[in-house]
Amino acid sequence: MTTPTTFLASLGTALPGDPVDNATLAKVLGINEDWIEVFIGTRTRHFARDLGTGAVRWSLADLCAQAAEKALAAPEVDTSEIEFIVLGTATPDTLMPATVNHVADQLGLDQVPTFQLQSGCAGAVQALGVAQTMIASGQYRTGLVIGGDVCSKHLDLQRDVAGAAPGDLVNHVLFGDGAGAAVVTDEPRGQRLALRHVLNRFTGLGRKPGQVIEWFGLADRYDDRQALTEDYKAIEESVPVMAVEILWEMLGELDWEADQLDYLLPPQLSGRMTRRITEELDVPTAQDVSCVADTGNNGNALPFLQIEKLLERMSDGEKALAIAVESSKWIKAGFALEKI
Amino acid sequence: MEPIAIVGIDCRFPGAPDTGAYWDLLMRGADGVGKVPRQRWDAEEFHSAAGDEGHANTTEGGFIADPDAFDNEFFTISPREAAAMDPQQRLLLQSAWRAVEDAGIPPRTLAGTRTGVFVGIMGNEWAQLHLTDYANVTAQVGSGNGYCMTANRISYHLDLKGPSLAVDTACSSSLVAAHLAANALLAEECDHALVGGVNLALTPALSIFYTQAGLSAPDGRCKPFSAEANGIGRGEGVGVVVLRRLRDAIADGQRVYAVIRGTAVNQDGRSNGLTAPNRWAQQEVLAAAYRRAGVEPSDVVFTEAHGTGTALGDMMEVKALGHHHAGRAARPMALGSVKGNLGHTEGAAGIAGLIKVALSLHHRVVPASRFAAKESKQLKLRDHGLRLLKAPLRLPAGPTVAGLSSFGMGGTNAHAVLESAPAHTARPEPANTAAPGGIGAAVFTLTAPNADALRRNLLAQADAAAARRVPLGPLARWSNRVKAGHRHRFATVATDIAELVAGLRESAADPELLARLSARPAERPRSAFLFTGQGSQYPRMTAVLYEQSPLYRHFLDEADAALLPHTGKSVRDLILAGDDAVHSTQWTQPALFAVGYALGRTLTELGVRPEMLLGHSVGEFAAAVLARALPLDGAARLIAARGALMQELPEGGGMLAVRTTRADLEARIEREPLVGIAAVNGPTATVLSGDLEPLAEIGAELEAEGVTSRTLQVSHAFHSPLMRPVLDRFAEIAEQVGGGVPEIPLYSTVRGRVLDGEAMDAAYWVEHIGAPVLFGDAAGALLADGPTHLVEIGPQPVLSGMVRRLGGPAAGAGPVHVLPVRGPDSAGRDLAEALAELYRGGVEPDWDAVYAPEERVPHPLPPYAFSTDHRYWSRNPVRSQGTVAEPTIPALVAHGEPETAPAAVLTLDRPGGPADPVGQAVLGAVRMVGGYTDAEVGPHDRLYEDLGFDSVMIMELKNRLEARLTGIGTVTVQDLLPRLSSVGDLVAFLREIGAAAPGSAGTGDVAENPALMEEERTA
Repeated sequence: MTTPTTFLASLGTALPGDPVDNATLAKVLGINEDWIEVFIGTRTRHFARDLGTGAVRWSLADLCAQAAEKALAAPEVDTSEIEFIVLGTATPDTLMPATVNHVADQLGLDQVPTFQLQSGCAGAVQALGVAQTMIASGQYRTGLVIGGDVCSKHLDLQRDVAGAAPGDLVNHVLFGDGAGAAVVTDEPRGQRLALRHVLNRFTGLGRKPGQVIEWFGLADRYDDRQALTEDYKAIEESVPVMAVEILWEMLGELDWEADQLDYLLPPQLSGRMTRRITEELDVPTAQDVSCVADTGNNGNALPFLQIEKLLERMSDGEKALAIAVESSKWIKAGFALEKI
Repeated sequence: MEPIAIVGIDCRFPGAPDTGAYWDLLMRGADGVGKVPRQRWDAEEFHSAAGDEGHANTTEGGFIADPDAFDNEFFTISPREAAAMDPQQRLLLQSAWRAVEDAGIPPRTLAGTRTGVFVGIMGNEWAQLHLTDYANVTAQVGSGNGYCMTANRISYHLDLKGPSLAVDTACSSSLVAAHLAANALLAEECDHALVGGVNLALTPALSIFYTQAGLSAPDGRCKPFSAEANGIGRGEGVGVVVLRRLRDAIADGQRVYAVIRGTAVNQDGRSNGLTAPNRWAQQEVLAAAYRRAGVEPSDVVFTEAHGTGTALGDMMEVKALGHHHAGRAARPMALGSVKGNLGHTEGAAGIAGLIKVALSLHHRVVPASRFAAKESKQLKLRDHGLRLLKAPLRLPAGPTVAGLSSFGMGGTNAHAVLESAPAHTARPEPANTAAPGGIGAAVFTLTAPNADALRRNLLAQADAAAARRVPLGPLARWSNRVKAGHRHRFATVATDIAELVAGLRESAADPELLARLSARPAERPRSAFLFTGQGSQYPRMTAVLYEQSPLYRHFLDEADAALLPHTGKSVRDLILAGDDAVHSTQWTQPALFAVGYALGRTLTELGVRPEMLLGHSVGEFAAAVLARALPLDGAARLIAARGALMQELPEGGGMLAVRTTRADLEARIEREPLVGIAAVNGPTATVLSGDLEPLAEIGAELEAEGVTSRTLQVSHAFHSPLMRPVLDRFAEIAEQVGGGVPEIPLYSTVRGRVLDGEAMDAAYWVEHIGAPVLFGDAAGALLADGPTHLVEIGPQPVLSGMVRRLGGPAAGAGPVHVLPVRGPDSAGRDLAEALAELYRGGVEPDWDAVYAPEERVPHPLPPYAFSTDHRYWSRNPVRSQGTVAEPTIPALVAHGEPETAPAAVLTLDRPGGPADPVGQAVLGAVRMVGGYTDAEVGPHDRLYEDLGFDSVMIMELKNRLEARLTGIGTVTVQDLLPRLSSVGDLVAFLREIGAAAPGSAGTGDVAENPALMEEERTA
């Protein structure tokens, strides 16, 4: 018996509320609009929190369920067929219950295995990898893969950032919120997107994290630690290099030539960084599919937002390759898709 | 056999007030068994742990909550009749209604169909309590009891004309009922079948019987196939399912829970004793069902067993199953029984099992069997190819076959083979996808018999919509389809679920809002469409609607395509681009035509069929297309030519709106050949048109006299002598286009009246250019013909104001003004609000057009929430001394209908007032016969529709009237019948024939009059 191939049958995404442009964000935070434009290169993003009041309008579970509902509403898929759910996120609503279970509850799913992968930008890819393994086992035929993040949890609207250093400022303008979901099947259905390969590899032995998000409990809630820290120098230096390595490793694994690639889904750090990485990847024959300039860096939602854009253009027989780098502890990730 | 689909479910079981709660109870492995409620009998009094004679060995059982609550008003059953009805009838009636709703069928649409009703029932304890109280056996007590009536009453109240019967085969009754229903569907005796089962324990009789027969579990709990099994515990319940032939369900795009593949029924015959289970007969009935279903025993993944938890019963059942399944030891068949959760629900046991299996196949998981963890070793289940479900069994994707057994104490056995619904029916494809649809907002509707019921059901729907992520379109569409048919119509508009939930809750809490969003249409709606003319246009008119509504988009595109060959440039693009050229008449005329046509067609597509049409000047072209007097292409050609020809005329003409009469102005323009009357919009709203110079002079003259006038922003002097140069060329084109007689009454602004068989042909349209617009006369004629709704069709409301200024009927009595487009910002919401308003006014929209094709999928909603305000039960619980309980009519909560006629009307002619002894006597008699309280019966109540009177009650009413009134001695029932439409009508009739109340000064109400109370007892 041959190992079942995993297919993405349908896709859904959810972005909270209206897009927030740089002018609005600059005004709220009291910073320079042009600075965002030039140094970050992100035009708009969406926030689950109300920018005026700071009130939470959507939880991560809400966004994930919205995205999943859209994926499940597509032709040729059915909620009752879902046999497992895998969610990748760095920003769960609560540590317990895992957000994936609230998502299941909102979707009316019961009696299914659920998984939540605690991960940054690679989480969605890891979720796809787990789903692929489950389908390949022959034990499951249909599942739901979700990625989402609510980064605005760390958007402190009370804080005056006017005098803050660029490294600190970046955290306020880089990120956004959102979620994406895909129904995976063991046969070509709906979008008929074959998942050809998934790469997920820890490469950070001995390396200082490039990004840290803290969490606080009762014992340390008043600690004066920064909730979110990034080593931008290290990220700027390493991510492009890692991205190139991922590209070539995956092409080798797939036995694809670079010029056979129709689309390239590069890592979505920020509008500016993504443009830079794409240049370094240097696959001129492949069309670039990016979204970060419009969505902000919303973590594990990004690959789904990219696939959604990809589907608008992709035709039968075309190939796409996606690359993600999680700079927290230097995780290489990627996946390859082929529409059949 | 041909597969039968289960398309609707409703039930109530111990610990589970509805279907969702039942599934939850099963999945939690919960216990529905508890102490015998004091309302039933004194359990301690009848208890003997040793099982002494006349005693039961348990004080527990599975009892449902609120068996006494009954929404008699919903079914227009009088309190007296309700109190006499076996509560099993009442429960079934409510459950039947809910099950039909769950099937996505508005119950009233089944009226008159040959739908069958099959009820399984084996307990008749209400009759034992009430029919033995001979002194109090009334007509109502008679029809309130008996097995047949459980089914027949459903048929009666839902007006179902197929087979209607009750089945008693003891504990297998309701599965045998399902078997008979399936056969009736296969024989095409009926197209829908309701299968019900019901069981209420009102007396300890069966508990004592089980104890004396050595079958009663001391803890009142069935423990199927368990090492701890020690007998039966009694359980209650009611359940109804709706069955159809699968092919019909598929053809109708219905949601299917599960499919019945085959059923079989047989008998033990002369077995080991009348009540002893018989393994060989059970084995045979399984074989027969498998055969009929065309399945191999090894295909069956799980079986819901009869499983009462008696040593002998469980053993026989396992052996019978083992005969077919022993060979599959490697992959044993899963086994369970719901009796572990509920107790043995006797007459309802079959339906409890059927619903459990259907829900298991639907949710693709089989609940664990309670008490399975301590499986009986003696049964050697594994050797028989069986495994007891100690944990829920998740069913794999693809078809799953399941079995269901139900065995009767007297030896009638039943087995059914079910299968999961075919994939495409578990989630049917969108219906009717070819038709365009979507208006940019959803309209949620709900109907109920009164405002209280409306509030209660709005909250139930709000809770369900808030509980889980649900799609708005399909949900609202389902509310339109299923929640229809009652007098009070509620409609609200929403663009997302959160908004809907908030709106429903606010409506339930705020009486003013509820009054605004609901209505009780009194008359058949008659809609008139009024199309606006020049002046109402503006750049980007209806652009937001165009973006939001695919339906409107479809028709504006259609109009644009029809115009394009004649305009040479897309009128739609010109509108959407916000081009100011829309103000030059060459574009104004086709643009307004396109918008008028698109909006009019959008509304007719939504099911709003105008019965009257009126177009102000240019607006008449779109009206003529809707009236089928002109084809779209022809009208497009005409309007394009009309606009283009007028554009060619030199500019310089103007128009002047004047607040004075036509006659006044006619006198002033007599000597002005280049000025004419352009429009008469009302008695003192007249428009002049013509050369600018004389117009200015007249304007100055008027101003000097203090008459208000206003210069209109127009490029040309429309409807004036200045138009003459275009007439010949226009006539040429108009001749080619032609035109017919409108098929819908069209009130012509050329003639100032409805067109009477006159064609809207070339001559008409040529005359149209120069003739004054007699809007005031045309609108007056239209109003005189009594429209209920005036729908203004145009980019902004203009004509509604003109109509209001015409005067006419007093405020409040005139037609409702409906504005689907209110101005530049108008979006789908305004159109949806307009549709909601029309629906509240009695219009029956074609709801599918409100929703995009992909939204046209079934979306089951919580079924009707019945009132629990009224309770009917025996006054006393059963005691050992054989005291007979009496039916009582509890004090009912008074609840006035807010919509009763205005007080002013009541006091003028109010039978039953202090000075009206006849009316008083009639009201008293009606209350007495129906068992109503004072507040519940008024002169406006209709005897049949509102008070639920039937022929038996009419006879009784006549007797009571004869006892209370003199002068009606010779009146026969036949005389009475034509005058029974309402209580007031009856009073009027009795007065006419000279009835009088002897010796009554008309003081106080009957209920307070001791003399009359005495008379009632002896009547």
